[in-house]
Amino acid sequence: MREKDVNLPCRIFAILVMLFLLAPLVVIVIASFTPTALITFPPQGFSLKWYANIFGSSTHFMDGLVNSLKIGILATAADILLGVTAALSVCRYSFKGKDALLNYYTSPMYVPSVAFAFVLLQVYSQIGGVPGMLRIFIGHLIIILPYIVRNTVSVLHVFNWTLEDAATSMGATPIQVFFKITIPLARPGIMAGALLAFLYSFDEVALSSLLSTPRFITLPIRIMNYMELTFDPTLAAISTLLILASLVLIVLMEKFVGLDMFVK
Amino acid sequence: MERKHRALLLALPTVLTLLFFFVAPMVYILVHTLHENGFSDFVDFFGDPFYRNILWVTLRVSLVSTAISLVLGYPTAFYMARTKSRMKQVMMIVILFPFLVSAVVRSYGWMVILGTNGLLNQLLQSLGLISTPLKILNTETAVIIGMIHLLVPYMVLSLVGVLQSIDPNVEYAAYSLGASPLQTFSKVVFPLSLPGIISGCVLVFTMSMTSYVTPKLLGGSKFRMMATMVVQEINVNFDWGAASAISYILLAVILLVQIAVVLCTSGYMKRMGGGK
Repeated sequence: MREKDVNLPCRIFAILVMLFLLAPLVVIVIASFTPTALITFPPQGFSLKWYANIFGSSTHFMDGLVNSLKIGILATAADILLGVTAALSVCRYSFKGKDALLNYYTSPMYVPSVAFAFVLLQVYSQIGGVPGMLRIFIGHLIIILPYIVRNTVSVLHVFNWTLEDAATSMGATPIQVFFKITIPLARPGIMAGALLAFLYSFDEVALSSLLSTPRFITLPIRIMNYMELTFDPTLAAISTLLILASLVLIVLMEKFVGLDMFVK
Repeated sequence: MERKHRALLLALPTVLTLLFFFVAPMVYILVHTLHENGFSDFVDFFGDPFYRNILWVTLRVSLVSTAISLVLGYPTAFYMARTKSRMKQVMMIVILFPFLVSAVVRSYGWMVILGTNGLLNQLLQSLGLISTPLKILNTETAVIIGMIHLLVPYMVLSLVGVLQSIDPNVEYAAYSLGASPLQTFSKVVFPLSLPGIISGCVLVFTMSMTSYVTPKLLGGSKFRMMATMVVQEINVNFDWGAASAISYILLAVILLVQIAVVLCTSGYMKRMGGGK
């Protein structure tokens, strides 16, 4: 019955927007199987040779993938510790200036990553000898922090703090309260934040391209470098794998956390 | 008193990390730049039509992309907020799915579609609609298309929450008092959703002002926005003074826009009860 309230033009419009969003992704997946270097539709035949190319040593994609995963996992793990304690500090206690403190935690969001990257580049060049991985790690550590803070705060905001008092009154130690009550209840927010933070780091380009050294290059930069030299469907093949990974991720999220977490 | 200490203890690691690795470098380099070259790089930026034009192009692309994202996102979010069918879940996945895919990959998809030998030109030529391929890739149009693709999910996610929180009974009340659908929308639904529209637009506008991948890949080497110009000054022109000036001007423009929006809308937000 209620379906009638949402009129048909609105529904058709929404479906067209969905098609627009999916179009480039579908095109990439189909293109990855074309046997020819020029992508034509419909594809003339079927080939997996571009997938074999990915693993060739000339693309350096695997090396880039390992680097991207290292940075993403390390920066996210460190930021879960920093972000959750930060979120607790502004949600658990009320004091003057706590709004200002929250704004301070999320301030890296308002700075263009390319501007921050350039600032770091200048600092590194004055210090000298900072290894490639640490250069990018510090950058990512800062720019993804706001995602974890914000998502954790949004859960803690509606948190029933009397649960902690209840646990304490029943004899739980502060550490037990923290790990058995606070963390499990805040987990959806922490997980959503950590996921967004990891993806931001994994896909980040502006900062990584300015701060990477020839010995430490992340996957998106490898893909962009490859694109400048050769524009063949190897790009479609690696993109398809990344699209597939995102799809797996979103299905897992729908199952375990629910997607409503992302609606502000 | 003890509680205050605990809050301080929890806040300390993050406060110090941000101070050392974020605030201090940002301030230090700004002071350093001003100390070395004074304001000359900033004066040069606004004195040179080439740079002024880059700022203008960046603003124009961001405004157009934000406006189109709103036009595409609003009805979509409205449908998602109101439908009770399974479609909502499906749409949520479709919205979040490209959101999780790297901007490099998404731009690559648009390169395949919009290129001179791309799918769009192949299609139009095989249909006999055009004889010479359209030049879309490496133009501002391509950048705007890619940008919208990046921004629509953010816009929809900002709007869905607000639209969901509007009680449908408010609309029924308007209808029963004799309002037409158009009046109901313009006098009831639209004003109630304005906080979501404003926050969505600010988010999306900021993202496009600072975007790097989309203009670089879809705009080609002659198309320049602020973020791509910073990198070009560093890697191609080796002019770090200019790169600094562009970085800080971009940061200033973004902060000014945010402050302006907060100042202009705070009265309205308070009336709507959004400022609590």
